[in-house]
Parts: sequence; structure tokens; C-alpha cells
Amino acid sequence: MQKFWASVFGVVLLACFLLFAGSYFYAPWWLPLNVCSFGPEVDHLFYLICGFTGFFYVLTLTVLVVGMWRFGHQAGRKATYTHGSHKLELVWTAVPSLILLFIAFAQVNAWSNIKYQSRMPKPDQVFEVTARMWEWRFRYPAADQLATMKAAWKEGGQIPDVAKSWFDNGHMDDINLANEVHTWKGAKVRFMLHSRDVIHSFFLPNMRIKQDAMPGKSISVWFDAEEANCHMDGDKVVVDADKRWELACAELCGARHSMMRGRVCVHESKDAYLKWLDTAAKATHATRP
Amino acid sequence: MSADKSHTATTHEHPQLGFLRKYVFSDDHKVIGIQFLFTGIIMLFVGGILALGVRIQLGWPQSEIPIIGKWLWPGSLGHKMPPETYNMLFSMHASVMIFFVIIPLLTGAFGNFTIPLMIGAPDMAFPKLNMMSYWFMWPALAVMLSSFFVGGGAAAAGWTSYPTLANIAFTSPNSGTGQMLWLIGLLFVGVSSMMGSVNYVTTIINMRALGMTLFRMPMTIWAMFITAILQAMALPVLTVTLILQLLDKTLGTNFFLPNALPGGGGVQIGNYMTTPGGGQPLLWQHLFWFYSHPAVYIMILPAMGMVSDIISTFARKPLFGYRPMVYSIAGIAGLGFIVWGHHMFQSGMDPRLGTGFMIATIMIALPSAVKTFNWLGTVWGSNTQYTTPMLFALAFVAMFVIGGLSGIFMAATPVDVAIHDTYFIVAHLHYVLFMSSMMGIFGAIYFWFPKMFGRMMNETWGKVHFFLTFVFANGVFFPMHVIGVALHPRRYYDPTQFEFVQPLQPLNVFMSVCALCLGVTQLIFLTNFAISLFGGKKSGINPWHSNTLEWTAPSPPPHGNFLEPPIVYRGPYEYNSPEARDKDYLPQTEPPTPGVSVAHGH
Repeated sequence: MQKFWASVFGVVLLACFLLFAGSYFYAPWWLPLNVCSFGPEVDHLFYLICGFTGFFYVLTLTVLVVGMWRFGHQAGRKATYTHGSHKLELVWTAVPSLILLFIAFAQVNAWSNIKYQSRMPKPDQVFEVTARMWEWRFRYPAADQLATMKAAWKEGGQIPDVAKSWFDNGHMDDINLANEVHTWKGAKVRFMLHSRDVIHSFFLPNMRIKQDAMPGKSISVWFDAEEANCHMDGDKVVVDADKRWELACAELCGARHSMMRGRVCVHESKDAYLKWLDTAAKATHATRP
Repeated sequence: MSADKSHTATTHEHPQLGFLRKYVFSDDHKVIGIQFLFTGIIMLFVGGILALGVRIQLGWPQSEIPIIGKWLWPGSLGHKMPPETYNMLFSMHASVMIFFVIIPLLTGAFGNFTIPLMIGAPDMAFPKLNMMSYWFMWPALAVMLSSFFVGGGAAAAGWTSYPTLANIAFTSPNSGTGQMLWLIGLLFVGVSSMMGSVNYVTTIINMRALGMTLFRMPMTIWAMFITAILQAMALPVLTVTLILQLLDKTLGTNFFLPNALPGGGGVQIGNYMTTPGGGQPLLWQHLFWFYSHPAVYIMILPAMGMVSDIISTFARKPLFGYRPMVYSIAGIAGLGFIVWGHHMFQSGMDPRLGTGFMIATIMIALPSAVKTFNWLGTVWGSNTQYTTPMLFALAFVAMFVIGGLSGIFMAATPVDVAIHDTYFIVAHLHYVLFMSSMMGIFGAIYFWFPKMFGRMMNETWGKVHFFLTFVFANGVFFPMHVIGVALHPRRYYDPTQFEFVQPLQPLNVFMSVCALCLGVTQLIFLTNFAISLFGGKKSGINPWHSNTLEWTAPSPPPHGNFLEPPIVYRGPYEYNSPEARDKDYLPQTEPPTPGVSVAHGH
């Protein structure tokens, strides 16, 4: 009976470990496919932390279970009479603190690449996203407008005035769409994120990007996609069946929070994107007087 | 000295009190502690039922809810749970569990019960204040529970109540009266906690028995002491925050209501527009988390303290590294004040601030690691008795390892970009709050039950309760890590809406089944508790052969606690000390044997 409880702990903790490690080998239960250029960095850091935490999981819990196994109560046996050990305290303070510092500083670069405005690359594709209960509204610039903004944008610089003014004001030739992200393969995307009502969160699982849309704030976000997932069939965009990437809301925004879904269309090339933009422009402006 | 003694003796001769003063409006810390305990256990079941509602919806979305669906929701909804109800269930589950179960059980029940007994005091420094602290829970309870029955239902904006969702009544039927009552309820809880913490700090500083130096205090007392300081410093911020949202909702102020519309309008919900006022939802997040992150430690530190005492007692071995244990609790509490921003990495807060908060947050894993290693050091070389409290305490250690390690993932900002607001965080917080704090609380209930009621809880059923809880709780919460890595967003009413989430549904079903079993398992605990209360074996003064002072008082201790004011000669963890020849423990009050040198006087 003494060993029983050590076994219970051992079995449960091992089962947990195996479930986590095992799901790595079953794609739908693991990180979704990543297509963003900063995604590998994020995933790499995830695995780095998996490595360290996995090591300490095994180490500490093995000590616990073995300790429970070996040191169950026996009449007549005496427990070791000790109040601790300075040497051990030093070791298990110093070693983890070095590891933790390493983990912490290993993150800094990736984090700044994703979120620091000053590190964001000069964009190829620009749009504006406004979240509201419960949809994502996209505003895409017409082709010439996009070209003007790109020309004014400097590498690593601030958002140029012409882009600021476009972000702030709707234009007659803008293309307005709901719940559809459009970009093309390899394009650096920069968008301005707004919310009209409550807090939402713009989340592309396949691009490893998440940013809250905060009412009252304009937040500039970037990502890209290194794989295409759609083609045009006449006027229609057809998304590959095995690459149906989604846009999700990740911040509680009321009753239909879990239905605030959008789709992601990454076109093959800039030309393919412009072709789509053209058809989309015709469709949106057709009703206009 | 003799004058002093006679003085203490006279002040603590308590006249026979009537039933009402003795058991209801009592200013005896033990009765108040037990009142908190009963209230907490009742609310634990309320919160648990809310959680089961959440799990039923997640396991079987879009299906009719059996039995209760028929009379809760009309046929026009197909007897299905509406999304507003789902949001309400998880919001209130969290609010109830945090503010009415874990905090009141840890600080209210065990803080009250253990502090005077373990430091050798006849009662708290301010007994009347203590009584008030309990009775302020009642308006809080009344307000919170009644909010389920007001129009629109109870609050449904998450326990974090982020504006503008919580601020504006038009966003959801629950954000009207329900949200208002939520704010008022928490204000009452805050007042209650504040009175408690002031009392604890004062008592621990001023009322220790002769010889009870700070570094002879048991870990439970250290943890309660530091927690009380933490609470006293953080709570005013929560109070202010709640009042600001209340003002926004009632007087039309704009602390958290932004100008979100182009051209400077307020926010727009359907056809309703707020007036522009220039507030910031981010301000709420900062203020809220400035309290609520330290609150996370309020919800774990006392459990850490109690678990340390339980482990040392049943390991029959001194606690390994007593001073490092104290320092690491203080370290956690100190760092706990500068890490609140890690809840807001993706909120639009300046990302450079995120970098700073990340480093502080990752470093807070250090004192936690030191604590874990010291617990392991205590177990190693021990002579462990696997009693029910010990099993819960060891489970605390094991589960806290998992909860601590998973915290590093979210502290790492780039990784957090992916896993923020997914089930990974739900897994993490339940490993800390349920798997750790709740295990600690269960352990403490089994441990101090004999002192509270003079009777033992049934050990066999206690072990059955432990075994099933341990297995099913891991079954509920561990797979959440997996679906979190697959980036399943949290707070989703219907996870099947997203293609990348659909393959995770079998795990959701598995977790829901485990949750239902976990719920049923707690009935074993409840039955054991109720039956042992009246029919348990008589425990005697010191059933666990423990060293600390409460085990020298009668079980249950009378009003005034000790028959003689105790005198303390040594630290609390002298198990298997060579100084004690005939037994394997050495109570703090036992005078040193003449001729034997005191090796570890602390």
C-alpha cells in the first residue's frame, strides 16, 4: 500500500506527459500550420520553452515520485534530520535564474520584430480593419492609392502622411468587404486596427499574429504569408480545401464572440491580387450612383 | 511577568454566551473561520455547478440540454443554452470561485482559524472587526446570487469585466443590472477582505506568544502575513476601479468609455451611440490587473504555507530550507506587484512595456522553483505517512510544478502572441487555482478538521475522494494544454464554428465527461464532511503528532484558545530531532531537556 500512492502519482503524471508529447505527432492537435515569416521564430521559442520545461517536469516530478516510493512510512525508521543545505539552495537558485534569464532574453528580439512599430518592415499591402459586434470590416485601397502610399513609405520609418490620411478617412474608390483578409504571397502586410464598440482581438492562427482591437486606439499591425491558398475562378475566389485559414476573434466581445469568423485569402502573386481587387471594386461600386 | 500573566488570565475568562452570540454573531476567530469555511464550501458547489454548465455546452454544443433545458429555455431556443447564458456561466463561475471560494477559504477560513492558534494568541487583535469582516460577505453574497434573477441575468463580460463590453448596457442584456450588482458585490467582498487583512497583520505583529519570534513562525503564518500585506496594498486599487466603472454606468462619467468613432464620436452599439468622453478601456485593464495579479498570489501563497506545514508534519522531517521558503514567499509577493502587464501583452499597450513585464514575469518563476525544490527536499529522506491531507499536499506540489511551468509559455511575449486567450491559459490558471490552491484547501480541511470540530474525518473515504479528484481533475484540465497549443480560443460558446478547432472536439467531450465525474466526486467529500462533523472518531488534542501550537490546545479549543498562555522554545519543524528521545516530534512548547544543547533554536 505504501507504494500505491507513488504509483498513482507516477501513472497520472506520465499520462499527462505522454498526452502532450504525443499530440505533437498528430497535426490537428498541435500548433496549426504556420505561413508567416516571423512564425518560425515564435514556434522555435515555443519549442525552446518546451525543452526547458519538459526537462524540469521530468526532473522534479521524478524526484517526487521516486521520493514517495522510497520514503514511505516504516515503523522504527527515522527520517533524516536536516534543516536544509546552503549549497543546494545556492545551486537551485542560481541555475534556474540563469536559465530563466536566458529564456527571457531569448524572447526580446522576436517580440520586437512582431510588435515594435520601428521594426515593422516597409509594407507591400495596406488595409484597414474595423471590428464591431460581430464582424470584421476591411477597407482596401484601390491599386493606385496603394502605389502612392508605398512610394511614400520609407524603410523602418514612420507611417507617411499620405497613408495616415488614408487610414483616417474613407475614400470613394476604397473597396469595403466584411470578414475577408486578402493579400498575396510574400507581401508584407501593414494594417491599422480599430474597433467601433467593444474590445475584439484580431487573431490569425496560421500567421501567429494576435492583436486586440481597442476602441479609441489605432493599432498598427504587420504580418505576411509565405504560401498562397487561393485562386480566381471567374469572379469568384476559391480557397484550397486543405488550406482554409481562418480569422478569429480572441477577446470576449459578447454573445456571438465565437461566430466572429473571417477567412484568409492569400493570392498567388501581386498580379493575381490586383485582378481580384479589380473584380471586387466592380462588385462594390456597381451599386453606387 | 506574573502581573502580566494574571492580566491575560482574567481578560480571557469568557462568560457563557447564548447560542446567537456563540455560533452566529460570534467574535471568536475560530467560529468566524468556520463560518467562512461553510460559506466557502457552499459557494464551491455553486461555482462548480456553473462550471459544469460551461462544460456541458462545450462538450455538446448545439444540443438540447437534458432535463433542465426543458424548463430553463423556451422551445423557441430548442431548449438549448443561449450564448448569453454561456457567457454568464463562465463569468460567474470565475467570480464565484475567486471571490467567494478561494480567497474566503484561504484567508477567511484558514487565516482566521490558524493565525491566533498557531502564534499562541487567545484571539485576533480586533475580534469585532473580524466579525464584521465575515458579515460583510453576506451582502456580497446576497447581491451576487440575486443577480442571477434580475432582468438580463448576471454579469457576462468575463470575471475581468473589460470595458466597453461591461460598461455599456446595450452590449448585452447582462451588462445592465447584472453587471451593476457584480460591481457592488465585489465592493462588499473588498471591504470584507480589507478588514480581514488589517486584522491579520496586526495580530501577527503584536500577539505572538512568548518566545514566538518571527523566524519561529510556521510557514502558514508567514504566508498569511505576507498575503495580508499584499491584500491591504492591492485592494484599494480594485475598490477604486470598481467605483469608477460604477460611476460610468450610473452617473454617465467616461473613465473607460473611449472616442472610438471616426471624427471623435463615442462608441456605437447598433443604433446607440455614447457621448464622446475620451476615456480608455486600457485604463481599466491596468487598474484591474494591478489588483488582480497580486490577487493571483493571494490565492496561492496561503495554500503554499499550509502545504509546507502539512508536508513537514507527515514527512516526519523538518521543512527543508525554512528561511529560503520564507524569502521566496516574500519574493513572490514583491515581484507580484510588477508583473500585472503580462495580462495585457496583446492589448495594444506599448510593446516596449511588454518587454519589461515579460522579464519580471519570467523571473517570478524563480522563487516558485525554489519553493518546489525545498518541498522535494523535505520529501526526500522522509518517513512519509500517506494520510489524506498529505496526499492533497503532495498533489499540490506536483500540480504546482505543471502550473508553474506552463506559466513560462505565456510570460514569453512572442509565444504569448500565439497562445494568448487560448485554452492554454485556461489550463494554466486551473492548474494553479484548482489543482494547486484547491488541493491545498482540501488538504487543510482534512488536516485541521480535528482541531476545528474535535473529530476526525473518515480516512478511507478521504483517500477515495483524493484519488478520484486527482484523476478526474487531471482529466479535465490537462488536455486543455493540448487544445491550447492547437490555439483553441477561450470563452467560445460554440467551438465547432471554426475549422481549426473542430478536430479538438473529442478532447472537449473527454474533458466534459471528466468534469461531470469530478463534480460527482465532490459529493463524497461533502458526505464525509457532514457525517464526520457529528459521527467522526474523537480526535484528541494532537492526532497527527504535530509540533505547532494549535495542537497543544484542546480540540476544539475553547473561547480564548489556550488553557495556559503557551511559551515557545523552538521552531515548528523539529521532527525526528535527536533532542526528542521517546517520540519523533518535539512540540514548540516543550521545554528543552536540561543538559541537551539546543542545536536548532532558529
